[in-house]
Amino acid sequence: MVSDSIAAAPILSAANTKNPGKKKRTNRSAKLKQYKIDARREQWLSQGAVKNKGCKDGIDDDGHVPSLPVGKHSKRELEKVETRRRGEDDDVSIHQDSDSESPSNSPISSNSSVLCGNDSGTNFTGSSSGGSSSSSSSSGGCYSGNITEEEEDDDEEVEEGDDECLDDWEAVADALAADDKLQTSSQDEPVVETDSSCEVTNGSGVGSMSSKPGSDGVLPWASGNNKAWRADDAFRPQTLPNLSKQHSMPNPDRCCGGGIPWSRNSVPSNCPICCEDLDLTDSSFLPCNCGFRLCLFCHKRILEQDGRCPGCRKQYECEPIETEASVHGGSLTLRLARSVSMIERTLKCLQIIIQQTGPWVVFEHQGRYSTEILC
Amino acid sequence: MISGTSSWLPATSVSASGKRIQREMVELNNDPPPHCSAGPKGDNLYHWIATIIGTPGTPYQGGIFFLDIIFPTDYPFNPPQVVFKTRIYHCNVEPDGHVSMGILKDGWSPALTITKVLLAVRSLLTNPDPYNAVVPGIAHLYLGDRAKHDDIAAEWTVRFAK
Repeated sequence: MVSDSIAAAPILSAANTKNPGKKKRTNRSAKLKQYKIDARREQWLSQGAVKNKGCKDGIDDDGHVPSLPVGKHSKRELEKVETRRRGEDDDVSIHQDSDSESPSNSPISSNSSVLCGNDSGTNFTGSSSGGSSSSSSSSGGCYSGNITEEEEDDDEEVEEGDDECLDDWEAVADALAADDKLQTSSQDEPVVETDSSCEVTNGSGVGSMSSKPGSDGVLPWASGNNKAWRADDAFRPQTLPNLSKQHSMPNPDRCCGGGIPWSRNSVPSNCPICCEDLDLTDSSFLPCNCGFRLCLFCHKRILEQDGRCPGCRKQYECEPIETEASVHGGSLTLRLARSVSMIERTLKCLQIIIQQTGPWVVFEHQGRYSTEILC
Repeated sequence: MISGTSSWLPATSVSASGKRIQREMVELNNDPPPHCSAGPKGDNLYHWIATIIGTPGTPYQGGIFFLDIIFPTDYPFNPPQVVFKTRIYHCNVEPDGHVSMGILKDGWSPALTITKVLLAVRSLLTNPDPYNAVVPGIAHLYLGDRAKHDDIAAEWTVRFAK
């Protein structure tokens, strides 16, 4: 993405200089660009002081901002910054125009950048003034700087991301860190935080036309809490993309939560024989192919007598321990393959079934097997 | 007397069967089968009394037949005992009233309930099973002279069940 946009920029600019029909708009956008550069200069001056707060304030903005697609924005940011690096207004105008093949994008984006700077400058107080815009714009600025000057900078802080946003943030974070010589602090940030900060940075830079930074104080975490959104956070803005796909590792919480409702599906809650509640082991116990479920105690009791399934009156398998264990275990692992904790329960389940031959009789003789085996 | 010696030994199974019987009682009250009723005779959960109203179109129509249902302590692993307290002319009912049915013997399944048993008994009144009869004379008559069998059965119904 990054290298593409860099390579595409000169080509597009070259193509557009030959087009005299766009000259007028080019002049206008050059004017806007000039305003923007002026605003950014001021932002850059205060950037060093507020850099660390920039991320937080940027997050604030994003709660109200429907962020544009990440790739488009980052590309535009890249181009703008590149033109600024060259420091020539002609180049700026041409690039700005050429950047947006759709005519409305470029003025809006530049406008929004300026507005973002102004808004945040007026609404944020103290050292955090302009933090939002500075973080967004400076991230863009350092972006190209990072590409051109530190292109081979390591990005070990971000895990492998198939997500577009993740790539973008990777570079942005590197740029931020490289710009302020604070790479270590940036690298120490957890991955999830950097992810959402990335979205936030992008959103605040582009979409702040509709954003109202003054209302940020309403959000509970706006006061110095720079942690990222969790995917299940109640206050997480819905405009943020779904983070769940970025979790490459299995989430243990999710596994535990997802396993429980499964076991209650289409399984009677009580044993039809003794009317006692079926526990997890019982509900996953399927001794007969007919699908009749019963608790382990009643099954054991029936095995002592005629050994026929109450549901279909067919004889249970001759060696019920091995066959049931294998069938039972197979079905369990099939259904619970994605849950680590449930597999443990499967093993426990199998152990209990295997215990049926030996310890089970002893427990039953004592008349209180119901508690002892299940513990 | 007997309870003194055998009460504590199967204590767990008694409570388990008690729970099951109570559950059946609740379900029977909530959704009673047609023309049948059943409930504990007194405060003994294991001794029920049931009534079956003779199905119209059969020689038993109009009769009200009382039955005793005696649950074993290891119910439902063993079938309950169903005994006609009302005399009935039926080839599958012993002279002392015991009902001879497959599901009450070897065909019993712990998944069966009293509701199903009552329905089966009522079905047996409609369709006797002379080939597994406990009273051969009635079975012979049923197979040989169905009209005479029905007359006698209807007469017994009028005499004993009304």
